[in-house]
Amino acid sequence: MKWNSIRTKVLAALLACLVIGVGGILAMMRYGFERNSQALAAESVLSAQKLFTILQAREISKMTAVSDTLVANPQIRDALASQDRARLLELTAPLYAQLKAQGITNWMFHTPEPDMRVLLRVHNPAKFDDQLNRFMDKEAMRTHAIVIGNELAKAGFALRVLRPVYDANGTLIGYLEFGEEFGQFIHAMEQQTGNDYGLLLSKDFLNREMWAESCAVWKRRDNWNDNPSFVVADRTTASDAILRFHDDLSAMQGQGQVLERYEEANSVFVRGIFPIRDASGKTVGAMFVIRNISEFYLAMQHTQNVIVLMTIAALSLGMLMVLMLLNRLVFRRLQHIIRIATRVVGGDYESEIQVSSHDEVGEFELLFEQFRSVFVTLLTGVSALPPSEDAEDAVEHKSVACV
Amino acid sequence: MSQLYDLRLRIEEKIKSSGLDPMETKGKIGLRSGKLLALISPSTPDDPQAIAKLKLAAREILNLDL
Repeated sequence: MKWNSIRTKVLAALLACLVIGVGGILAMMRYGFERNSQALAAESVLSAQKLFTILQAREISKMTAVSDTLVANPQIRDALASQDRARLLELTAPLYAQLKAQGITNWMFHTPEPDMRVLLRVHNPAKFDDQLNRFMDKEAMRTHAIVIGNELAKAGFALRVLRPVYDANGTLIGYLEFGEEFGQFIHAMEQQTGNDYGLLLSKDFLNREMWAESCAVWKRRDNWNDNPSFVVADRTTASDAILRFHDDLSAMQGQGQVLERYEEANSVFVRGIFPIRDASGKTVGAMFVIRNISEFYLAMQHTQNVIVLMTIAALSLGMLMVLMLLNRLVFRRLQHIIRIATRVVGGDYESEIQVSSHDEVGEFELLFEQFRSVFVTLLTGVSALPPSEDAEDAVEHKSVACV
Repeated sequence: MSQLYDLRLRIEEKIKSSGLDPMETKGKIGLRSGKLLALISPSTPDDPQAIAKLKLAAREILNLDL
């Protein structure tokens, strides 16, 4: 192969096109994957947030409906009005087992203001008479209306419905509260979506003693000291690795954010986070979302491989066709001209250059054939001269004559 | 007989014995040396430069040392 031949240069240019083409496709696929995985992560965060909201709404509706039924029960109202804890427990304990099976983990009766003490914890009857002084309690006392929200109490961080209870005369006799622990939400979400979730709560809004008591009530390890600023309320994975977060929770946007994409044990994951607010609207924690995008990643890899292979095949075929075309239209015809020209110089006056096409090379073939014809005429004339005359001088004379 | 003509004859002899295409080979030598073999006659005057060029072309194309 001649390095300075047109064929080599064209081949090098085509190879460069192939490399640039494949490189470009790889870069585009990579960019597409980055964009899509980012979009998937954002969609995961958004859909998790929506699902969480839907689940909360459903559970609020359920707890509100149950509370409506309970406050209409005169026996329960009488027991609450007389603050008869034993009677209340007797009336509600059988029902609690059923409600617990439906997800209602916390059930409390409170005395009316001004003290608003816990009259009875149906889920933990041994503890009573304490004042919680939570935001929800204050709101219920202030508005005398149903208050809904997320709040920490001694039984843990939960979605709660707190409502006033009135007797037949319309006198406030106490408050009824239902709550559902947050942990069950993330497990329900995991079951529905297949994604993993983790709930992190900021210690700034938690009470150390309450947290210890809630861990004791639910027989969980007290993990307060695991992290200086957060506690892990619950998670669907075996490790706390998904809960890595070092930014300021309070600065987080309401719609959440995508944190990262990472690979672990031959799988690819995207991780996002959205804030959890308590009843007062403060960002007290965050929900982490982990989505396994390995399937998408593998599909993208497969697509990438197919496209790269097809590009290489198409460009190789294109290269072959260009080279074949160049060979047929240019190189072979040029070689023919060179061969005829050489033969004419060697004394073959019969071989002619056939004009095979009226393209650019064809014009050159025609020109060269005309030139050959003139040249052969000259040489034929010289050959006919007597041997005494020097042949080269004769050609010179004949050339001048032709001119 | 000039030296140039003698070279022509020896080249033609070599081409004949080697079985190469005579026209094409003579053409190559002619193009390389700038001298048309067909125009070299016994009376062609010797030119040292032309002789050297013809010898060089014969060596390159026919591997013939003249």
